[in-house]
Amino acid sequence: MFIFIVRRLIALPVVLFAVSLLIVGLLQLLSPTQRATAFITSEQQAQNIPAIIEAYGLDRPFPVQYWNWLTQALQGNLGYTRSANMTVARAIRVLFPASLELALLAVVPIIGIGIWLGTVSALRRNSIVDQVTRVMAILGWSLPTFVFGIWILAALYGGFGLFGIGRVSSAYITEIAQGEITLYTRMMTVDAILNGRLDMLWNAVVHLVLPVTTLAVVITAQIMRVMRGSLLDTLSQDYVRTARAKGLANRVVHLKHARRNALIPVITLSGLTIAQLLNGTVVVETIFNIRGLGMWFATAAVQVDIPAVIGFGLVVAVIIVFANLFVDVLYAFVDPRIRYD
Amino acid sequence: MKDHRTPDPEATTPDTRWWHGKAMRRFRRNPLAITGVALLVFYFGVALLGPSITAPIIAERERGHTCARDLDLPRDAEEAIAALRNPLGLPFWKATLAPPQSCLRIPRVSFSPIPQPPREGHPMGIASGGYDIYYGLVWGARMAFYVGVLVSAISFGIGIIVGGAAGFLGGWVDDLLMRFTDVIFAFPNLILAAIFVTIFGPSLTNSLLALAIVSWTNYARLFRGDILRVRNLDFVDAARGLGASRWRTFVRHVLPNSIGSLVIVASLDIGAVVLVASTLAFLGLGAEIGTTDWGQMVSFARGFIQGAPGEPFKYWYISFWPGLAIVMFVLAWNLLGDAYRDVFDPRDA
Repeated sequence: MFIFIVRRLIALPVVLFAVSLLIVGLLQLLSPTQRATAFITSEQQAQNIPAIIEAYGLDRPFPVQYWNWLTQALQGNLGYTRSANMTVARAIRVLFPASLELALLAVVPIIGIGIWLGTVSALRRNSIVDQVTRVMAILGWSLPTFVFGIWILAALYGGFGLFGIGRVSSAYITEIAQGEITLYTRMMTVDAILNGRLDMLWNAVVHLVLPVTTLAVVITAQIMRVMRGSLLDTLSQDYVRTARAKGLANRVVHLKHARRNALIPVITLSGLTIAQLLNGTVVVETIFNIRGLGMWFATAAVQVDIPAVIGFGLVVAVIIVFANLFVDVLYAFVDPRIRYD
Repeated sequence: MKDHRTPDPEATTPDTRWWHGKAMRRFRRNPLAITGVALLVFYFGVALLGPSITAPIIAERERGHTCARDLDLPRDAEEAIAALRNPLGLPFWKATLAPPQSCLRIPRVSFSPIPQPPREGHPMGIASGGYDIYYGLVWGARMAFYVGVLVSAISFGIGIIVGGAAGFLGGWVDDLLMRFTDVIFAFPNLILAAIFVTIFGPSLTNSLLALAIVSWTNYARLFRGDILRVRNLDFVDAARGLGASRWRTFVRHVLPNSIGSLVIVASLDIGAVVLVASTLAFLGLGAEIGTTDWGQMVSFARGFIQGAPGEPFKYWYISFWPGLAIVMFVLAWNLLGDAYRDVFDPRDA
């Protein structure tokens, strides 16, 4: 297992190389002036584009250009992003925690509710609970994240003044600006605890309710469907019948024999789930005005902020590689038949 | 008049017409599947009859809305409406089968930034910028079918080429192509499409192209799998034994055996394609402002989330109607896809 993980980590630079080659290759479709923005590190440099084209050889053949980009990137220089007004490397560092907080909190209902409802639905097949769950699942699955987000934002926040947009109320933002609250992690909930400010923790949680719900609802519906289908499959297997024949309690059969095996297709899906979470953060952060990586990317894409888009693409590639590694390790834990030696 | 001849002996043999088959019977008994089909028929009807439905709005010739002019409609509003609704005349067929691009722009009733509630002639209200929501909704159905069919077709083509090359050539080409497919497959599709749109430049054509570039991976994998499976079947062995070349076995035996099911998979993906396309449009990476696109119309609501004091739900209609249109459209395809899987799942007989 250890060797497997190491081997996969060694493959990481290869994937990053391929992704960057692809993105930088696509940039050849742009003019040298547009490409030059990927090498700017400050506003002063933006005044002197021709010098940058000259310095980095942006009008020279592609391999030369890629080599120049790579040497810069390896030194941590990913360019300057107009839409966030800072260097790309700094933007990633500053904006990442907000997105991480959002995604981590969304994972809790996705796994908890998704697997629980899927199990209940399968165990009581064709009951009222099952029928309602199935209809909810297919409705939830058909709800585009942005429609659901706009709807609950308009209804609950716009209509009834509940919850909020942004990350915390403006009073706390002022306090943060004045240095009365220190940002250790830049995750508002964690920082509130570290500062010993329970009022701010409550405020941050209230602001997270709508975005987390929006992010979770579509994916939860999917997990639920897969869990239900896979548990129904498992329950019809011979070994489950054997377990029943041995006189084991229903509960033991369901939870120990059937559910554990039924989880495997759900884990298979989780690679896709993580991709959807990333898609979702872009939409959710845009709707609920959360200054994280996703909102930065959405703004950057509309403003044709090339360095930001490349930087974000690389971050996503790293996340995907680690996520898939995690999924593979999880397989081995759930299914003892799987060995990576 | 009834025929009293003795029953034809052939009539007792099982009916082999496809809509009487076992699978279709199960399909027809599934209420969710019927709902899906009904919804799609409705959407298709709205898309097709859009010009007739919105004839009064087209005939108004709002400033900048050149649809009526491009269709050569009579100046008189009454006559123009009649022409659009007369199936014996040329304008009806031109508007229905090949409407000019200008008809896929939402007419602007005014240039006022303030939305206006539903009223006579504008039953779903007017969004900020004077865009008529009803018109956008009706023509948005046509747009959804355009986008869905076009993107599915292009990505299907890419998938067949990549999967076909991998399966047919094998060896290192197979390895390389499939690793590449895996990378694209694992990457979040919306984000990848947005990256492509940024680099190509935001426009409707580019967003469709970007969508096609990110959605072919499934077809490539399925097609390659089919090729590997069919290649080992006895009749292909027989063909090879008779001296058929690799290319001939591929074209005559492998291709016809797997393309049918793949076409169904691709067409059931139309709903998913429209979902991602509308998300791109919502983020401002799709067609230019004022196009009849549901996703873009939902984004019109972003400045009007909060109502006026005392009237919290004042602007509900801006996001409600286009949102509902997308949800029901995607739902219809999902119901159909679900029913298809149920019907052809041998385990669940």
